[in-house]
Amino acid sequence: MNTLILDPTQDPAQDISMRTVGEHKPAPTPSAFRRDVDADGICRLTFDAPGSGVNVFNEDTLRELDSQLDAIESDTAIRALIIRSGKERVFVAGADLKAIRALPPTKLEAFIELGQSVFSRLAALPVPKIAVIHGACVGGGLELTLACDHRIASDADCTRLGLPEVQLGLIPGWGGSTRLPRMIGLQKALGLILTGKLLKPEQARKLGVVDQVVPREHLEAVAQKWCKPLACTGRRAFKPTACTTLPILRHLIAWKAKRDLIAKTRGVYAAPLMALKVATHGLGMSVRESLRFEREALLALTKTGEAAHLIDLFFRKEEAAKKPPSKGHAQPVLHAAVVGAGVMGAGIAQWLASHGVQTLMTDVSTDAIAKGLSRVSSLLDEGTKRRAMTKKEARESLDRISTATIRVPLHQHQLVIEAATESFELKKKIFADLANRCPPDTILATNTSALSVTELAKSVRNPERVIGIHFFNPVHRMPLVEIITHAGNTPDVIATAVVFAQRIGKVPVVVKDSPGFVVNRILMPYLLEAVRMFESGTPADGIDDAMLDFGMPMGPLRLLDEIGLDVAVHVGQTLVAAFPDRLPKTGLLDRMVAQGKLGRKSGEGFYRHENGKPQGAATSSRRSGHKNPSLLEVQTQLALLISTEARRCLDEGVASSADDIDLAMVLGTGYAPFRGGPLAWLRNFEQTTVH
Amino acid sequence: MKTLFFIDGVRTPFCKMGTTLASMDAVELGRSAIAALLTKTGIDPAVIDETLFGCVGQPADAQNIARVIALRAGIPAAKPAMTVHRNCASGLEAITTAHQRMAAGQGDVFVVGGTESMSNMPLLFSRAAAMKFAALSTARGTGARVAAMSRFRVQDFMPLIGLRLGLTDPVSEMNMGDTAELLAREFGISREAQDAFAARSHLRATQAAWALEREIIPVYAGGVHRSTISADNGIRSDSSMDKLAKLKPMFDTRTGSVTAGNSSQITDGAVALLVASEEAVALHGWKPIGRLVDHAFTGCDPARMGLGPVQAINAVLHRTGSRLDELDVIEINEAFAAQVLAVLKCLKDPASARRAGLDEPLGEIDDHRLNPCGGAIALGHPVGATGARLVLTALRQLHDTDKKRALISMCVGGGQGAAAILEAL
Repeated sequence: MNTLILDPTQDPAQDISMRTVGEHKPAPTPSAFRRDVDADGICRLTFDAPGSGVNVFNEDTLRELDSQLDAIESDTAIRALIIRSGKERVFVAGADLKAIRALPPTKLEAFIELGQSVFSRLAALPVPKIAVIHGACVGGGLELTLACDHRIASDADCTRLGLPEVQLGLIPGWGGSTRLPRMIGLQKALGLILTGKLLKPEQARKLGVVDQVVPREHLEAVAQKWCKPLACTGRRAFKPTACTTLPILRHLIAWKAKRDLIAKTRGVYAAPLMALKVATHGLGMSVRESLRFEREALLALTKTGEAAHLIDLFFRKEEAAKKPPSKGHAQPVLHAAVVGAGVMGAGIAQWLASHGVQTLMTDVSTDAIAKGLSRVSSLLDEGTKRRAMTKKEARESLDRISTATIRVPLHQHQLVIEAATESFELKKKIFADLANRCPPDTILATNTSALSVTELAKSVRNPERVIGIHFFNPVHRMPLVEIITHAGNTPDVIATAVVFAQRIGKVPVVVKDSPGFVVNRILMPYLLEAVRMFESGTPADGIDDAMLDFGMPMGPLRLLDEIGLDVAVHVGQTLVAAFPDRLPKTGLLDRMVAQGKLGRKSGEGFYRHENGKPQGAATSSRRSGHKNPSLLEVQTQLALLISTEARRCLDEGVASSADDIDLAMVLGTGYAPFRGGPLAWLRNFEQTTVH
Repeated sequence: MKTLFFIDGVRTPFCKMGTTLASMDAVELGRSAIAALLTKTGIDPAVIDETLFGCVGQPADAQNIARVIALRAGIPAAKPAMTVHRNCASGLEAITTAHQRMAAGQGDVFVVGGTESMSNMPLLFSRAAAMKFAALSTARGTGARVAAMSRFRVQDFMPLIGLRLGLTDPVSEMNMGDTAELLAREFGISREAQDAFAARSHLRATQAAWALEREIIPVYAGGVHRSTISADNGIRSDSSMDKLAKLKPMFDTRTGSVTAGNSSQITDGAVALLVASEEAVALHGWKPIGRLVDHAFTGCDPARMGLGPVQAINAVLHRTGSRLDELDVIEINEAFAAQVLAVLKCLKDPASARRAGLDEPLGEIDDHRLNPCGGAIALGHPVGATGARLVLTALRQLHDTDKKRALISMCVGGGQGAAAILEAL
């Protein structure tokens, strides 16, 4: 779940994923499709699902499309078909995931088959079919257009095309895995299907996914030009290519794609491997056979826990990222100040500025500001290189950041985020100063990762406005923000923090103030146990490999090197003070810190780091006769530690639900998403071990 | 006329052309100054009615640079912005234009100032070369294109230096330095007197460096490797008559006396000030640091543009009914030592005064009141920004020394003079 699934609507109230299954039951009338045939015999079929901001395919809409095709087939006056959407920002957002989830397995196969047959029927219509795409065209939406002869996309910002199914543990099953490789070639198709990435219109045109990109206002006129008989325009679909005719070439491409995939994911995800197989082998079959293969593969995937967990997480993430808080009135935050221009402060300032917030970054010295601005600039540089933003956006972000080393007025700012060094005394001083300088309703937030927000609030007038907004490092990469509340917070303050996090594109999870909050607290026993294992003789790369195979994005010891061993010791101390008996005992970290081995930043930790890259793993010299535990033993022991601590958090009410904890761990630490999170894993583990 | 109040002001460091600020263009300098002003004052940018900024060498990629700067500094798009140009007095012109706007009821709160990146003055193609490029771009067919290309000659690719063009008066066809040489000859200003005045400027600026730094907001130049620039870099604490005497004349290389050492430096920098009407001051509860009493712009012979301050000072004194000796701080921009010394001579010496068009001399300016913190010879002269810098520096000095009134004046390329009287509050 590293790539974002496109937001189908801007308005959460309009988003079907925000609704419960029960609510979503489209009435048989009014119709989701509108059909107009003009004097020239051009039929315009407009998908406009009633009562919703998005178009999705469920059984009802598919059947309706089917009956529309009936009518079109029997109308001999029709000489061309234009398919378009009646929605403002969405073409078709794919299949209705909520409806799919509610389907019993027996009905699921019929549902997949229905989609395939309707799209195949569309593809077989003898008239030219033109898809006019404006807004999100993803999953089943894109598959619908693949069954057309031509695709024209608007150049609007909201237009995005892609097949994100693998991110949900599925594969494109309505002809996407069959038609896309035939249309744009296997290599390019795999680039889309295996990553699930979404394309901007111009990228889609370059890949051959769409024929033309035009301004939205010109879509209609351009579509009409394509309405000539297929013989004139030259039908694009399914010309035999070297790939379809030469099995060796096909398998060479597939072999390379698989190698890259394994290198990236260690093969722990079933869906991309399955997609690769279907797309490659499908090319050697007839379209009909390939569709059957696609269907069977998709059905098999839906039965795995992977898809269920990934879809679950998708919904939870969407909800956390968009749903307005149930209580309190959120105040808009247009101006924010960040106190501290260190790694976190600069990272936060960059993120806020890039998301439209006028940001003041303060620190005590001009040197600190210069370093902070250098960091902001290099983050923006990196962003433009990755094409996550344009040069113009980077410049605008930089322009939104102002700096100060003196005490400047703060009455413009609705929110101040303190990101100073982790010292309680220092933070107390900063908060006392801020409280005196800001209006009484300015929210004073701390980005502390370990100190008590409750204690900090006590040192300030109007303590109800003190809250924790905990970003994770690196800020631009980690989607999670822990909103740390204390008993004195008002609902308005919490709501403001939550909505603020949502507005800047982060996923907030509200937690109660308690040592380590959720993520660090759950992570720490796991990290320390890994250190203890290493101390007792298990090699570092052995431990890390085991957890990589478990599905973690990084092994625990590598992670410690990245965090910095000194930081880990500091967080560890806070937790040991709070829960003295609970953490694995090891003095190794302290000894390593004393030796100056701090991890990546000092060049040596559990690994040697050169030029910021880990070179070789250190080996523990102790207990040469030590018998290395098996891969599975390491995995189980470490995973259990995470899950037990997660359960304690839940029992103590630190987070409001198991789902919140699972989401926080997946988004805050990259905990294997296909396992659903530590509590989902624990449920699964207990079931399999008991029975 | 209604009074214009100064609320606050900041400036970037003034740095010699091609040094630490060279990587920032005039837009970036101006943006830094306005952004810092907004941060320092904490005002809501939406209360600003208009941005007026001076810039002499407007970059080709930022026409109406004031608008570009205002938008990039976060001033709302609904608020207009205009670039003003009165050559060396552009920074002052921004302030006086705001005053007139305000008095005419066209706004209450203005961001004013000036910006100049003399490091980034363009190199230009000659008109003849430009015509050939135009012919090439319209040529159709390979033959025509080859023919068009073959018309280029080596000298077509020799750039015209924008900075040199800008510093040459097109009416008298004299370089600014030559106008200074003319004054030196006509008023008998010796090389020694000029060098002594230059050394004085550096000495005063060195002594006042700590005070000058309080006008400055730090600027962080560079991309991913930022460095802090927080002080003017043109001041030579070791400047002396001996060292200055070694320099060769720059304009009249054989017999002249105007050198790089006794002329203003070519510099990058920007100044931003927040000014407002009395009503706005009351509405927002601001504490003004001073007010603009009055100002005057006058014209003179372009070949003797350095005498501009004489008539301008005369005019502003008449308009306000004040005398030269009532003014506590007097800032006369040091475009050239020769030019300032000529002005001083015209102010006190009856014969010289008559030559400059005055009926009688206005009086003598004693040394301690004149440019107490040095001037453009030490600090530099980013042409579009200097006028505003003089106002900022004068107001700060009045506060530092607990004095009341200041006069600022400057000569203006093209034959003009500017003068304004300020009062500390």
